[in-house]
Amino acid sequence: MQRFEFPRFEFVGRFARNRGALVGACLILVVALMAVFASVFFPTDPLRIVGLPELWPGEDPEFPLGTDSLGRDILSMIVHGARATLLIGLFASAVATIIGVGVGAIAGYFGGWVDEISMRVAELFQTIPNLIFVLTIVVILGSTLTNIVIAIGIVSWTPIARMTRAEFLSLRDREFVQACRSMGMSDLRIIVSEILPNALPPVIVLSSLVVAGAILFESAVSFLGLGDPNVASWGRLVGDGRQLIRSSWYICAIPGIAIMITVLCLNLVGDGLNDALNPKLRDR
Amino acid sequence: MTIKVSRRVFGAGIVATGLVGTSGQSFAQGTPKRGGTLVATWGGGEPQACYVPAGGGSSPTFSSSKLFERLALRKMDGAFEGVLAESWKPSADFKSYTVKIRKGVKFHDGKDMTVDDVIYSVSEIWKKYAVASALTDFAGIESPDADTVVFKYNNPTPEFFFASTLCSPVAYIVPKHVYAGSDPVTNPANNAPIATGPWKFKEWVRGSHFEYVKNENYWKKDEPYLDRLIIRYVRDPAGRAAAMEAGDIHIGVFNPVAPPDIKRLTATGKFVATPKGYEEAVWSTTLECNMRNPVFAKREVRQAMFHAINREFIAKTVYYGYARPGTSPIYSPNKEFFTADTFKTGFDPKKAAALLDAAGFPKKADGKRFTLNLLAAGWFPENGKVGAYVKQVLEDVGVGINLTVPDRPSSIKRIYTDYDFDLAISNQANPSEPVPSTTQYFTTDGILKGVPFRNASGYSNPDVDKLVDRIKVETDPAKRKALVFEFQKITTQEAPLLPLVELESITLASTKVQNHSNDPNFLAASWGDLWLAS
Repeated sequence: MQRFEFPRFEFVGRFARNRGALVGACLILVVALMAVFASVFFPTDPLRIVGLPELWPGEDPEFPLGTDSLGRDILSMIVHGARATLLIGLFASAVATIIGVGVGAIAGYFGGWVDEISMRVAELFQTIPNLIFVLTIVVILGSTLTNIVIAIGIVSWTPIARMTRAEFLSLRDREFVQACRSMGMSDLRIIVSEILPNALPPVIVLSSLVVAGAILFESAVSFLGLGDPNVASWGRLVGDGRQLIRSSWYICAIPGIAIMITVLCLNLVGDGLNDALNPKLRDR
Repeated sequence: MTIKVSRRVFGAGIVATGLVGTSGQSFAQGTPKRGGTLVATWGGGEPQACYVPAGGGSSPTFSSSKLFERLALRKMDGAFEGVLAESWKPSADFKSYTVKIRKGVKFHDGKDMTVDDVIYSVSEIWKKYAVASALTDFAGIESPDADTVVFKYNNPTPEFFFASTLCSPVAYIVPKHVYAGSDPVTNPANNAPIATGPWKFKEWVRGSHFEYVKNENYWKKDEPYLDRLIIRYVRDPAGRAAAMEAGDIHIGVFNPVAPPDIKRLTATGKFVATPKGYEEAVWSTTLECNMRNPVFAKREVRQAMFHAINREFIAKTVYYGYARPGTSPIYSPNKEFFTADTFKTGFDPKKAAALLDAAGFPKKADGKRFTLNLLAAGWFPENGKVGAYVKQVLEDVGVGINLTVPDRPSSIKRIYTDYDFDLAISNQANPSEPVPSTTQYFTTDGILKGVPFRNASGYSNPDVDKLVDRIKVETDPAKRKALVFEFQKITTQEAPLLPLVELESITLASTKVQNHSNDPNFLAASWGDLWLAS
């Protein structure tokens, strides 16, 4: 019986061989630390008006990254925004992965009409432009953090479902699965404890990319003014600064760079995970 | 952004060349030059139809007012002037008005305009759609001879009120031969109007622009000066700024570009910016308390909300100084009815806290007295910023706030249909005449579920209702003014809804454009007198 072993040191070694991935992982770690310790560095509400509006970075040492059009500290909003942005990315990716793996596993394992229906439903979701679908859901459900997470999860699950289904299709008739069947194992147990662990590596790579995609979706939603106004997020800061792009461009640029770096790093990490988890590509 | 049918906003712009405004600044010089094409835009989107009989907001008002004409208009100096009416006078009991109609006016299709068109427009369009809320006392219209009509009312009707009705932006005279027998709302002519104004409709390229051409048979000699008028729609303020900078658009009304761009463009010396031309359509940003929430039962609680807010800060920071603190539901540019002698709810957080303590809402263990849902209507981006500020200052006095900033349709539904808010930040635009556009936010008959821009707070006070009824029928101008002053005193003290700031709308124009901003509602003026200097 083949068992999925999490290849600990070997995995780290393979991951670290991809220099880009290592840099990406380090920067993500920094962003994550920012998110965790945001309230330590900036104990007050980041959306509080604390200074003069539109102070340029460096103009007032109290606000190293300047203030926005209302006089809120941009550094504080970036640090607190890391929390909202990462949380949205992780939870949306979790929602998408749970739906995607669930649907994909059932479709791939059982095949037949279950597969037909699930894949037609997935296609239905794929034919709707993602961003418009997210905006529609957020407008209908209301702009709260939870709803944004759900909306992004709902549009992002299809590639994961297709990937999981493909893995299941190739694994479900292997000898070890047949052995399990002949032992009388239940379908659920075969799916969860036998096939799934072997199907997971490519799914994990895809999920890490969905985190990056979710951050971009959230930025777009906030940019269009449909984000949760009670939460400081990077996209919202870009959206607020849009009107002032000709005069105070730093309001857009600073959170824009933060989004760009984070998404780039997540993609690099995704590449690294791919290298580490896909032994076939190990020495490409 | 089109927000409200400001039904009783008057003004049109067939005012003679070179009319000098109150500040002495005029955007006209020398003798008018003929010919040329003027490209205009405004700070909002494309309308749903070129002409909407019920008004439909500022966007169709802007596009239709260049084609259609009203019976009268109000000039910059406050005087009323006949357009398609030559004169009007009340009967001794003020229950009827005799209006002389202008002769020799032709529609764009060559047919003569007659009293039949006026009677049709008033009874079928005005009464049912355009100015319905101003004609609740209207009893009918008849014509004793070929150039006279008589408006009849059930109650005495003040002269200022009557003239204001004639000047309402969408109180147009429409051709009976085009509209009779059809549903005016869905008549295809609404998208290719036939009217009497200085401009003739040529085409509408959807998503881009309207093209209007000179009406060669216009009744006012010499006008229009220009050959063509293009109204272009650009979605984004930054895009409008770029188009104006490139010389593609000559004039933008109603805040076409973001405030920092106003400063940047006027600094080049090629553009002028002016707050003139909005005196009869003053916009404000308002805060209203939902009376359905029992915490607002005591008026001290409502006053406390306003005491917590620094209106100067909002005017200076959110609106870059293009706003002034609001003190009364009647706005300060209103020469007829504004009074500074009102109940004051100025910035005083300590007083706000004391009022809330006294009203029986002390701070609880978590530092909060109670928590409210604050809805900032998302049709203007500034409203969201005002919302963020109001949240902060109310939390400072111990009121927990949940802020939402829904988009336009959701905001309208939640404020005016579902009443799903505790505090709402919205906007309104009002003309000088307070009835009904200002008063309907406070009277019981203004509580109309599903009708936007009415009494959404649910405030109902027999004293205010009686007072407004007296304002409606008081024909002595001095006594009427005193009643409106009283109305302002009561409403500012009761504080169900008050303006936070009065907005200063801006027109940005190339220095080549002459004769603009010469009408107290310039957006809804006919623009026959505009010309382009070389």
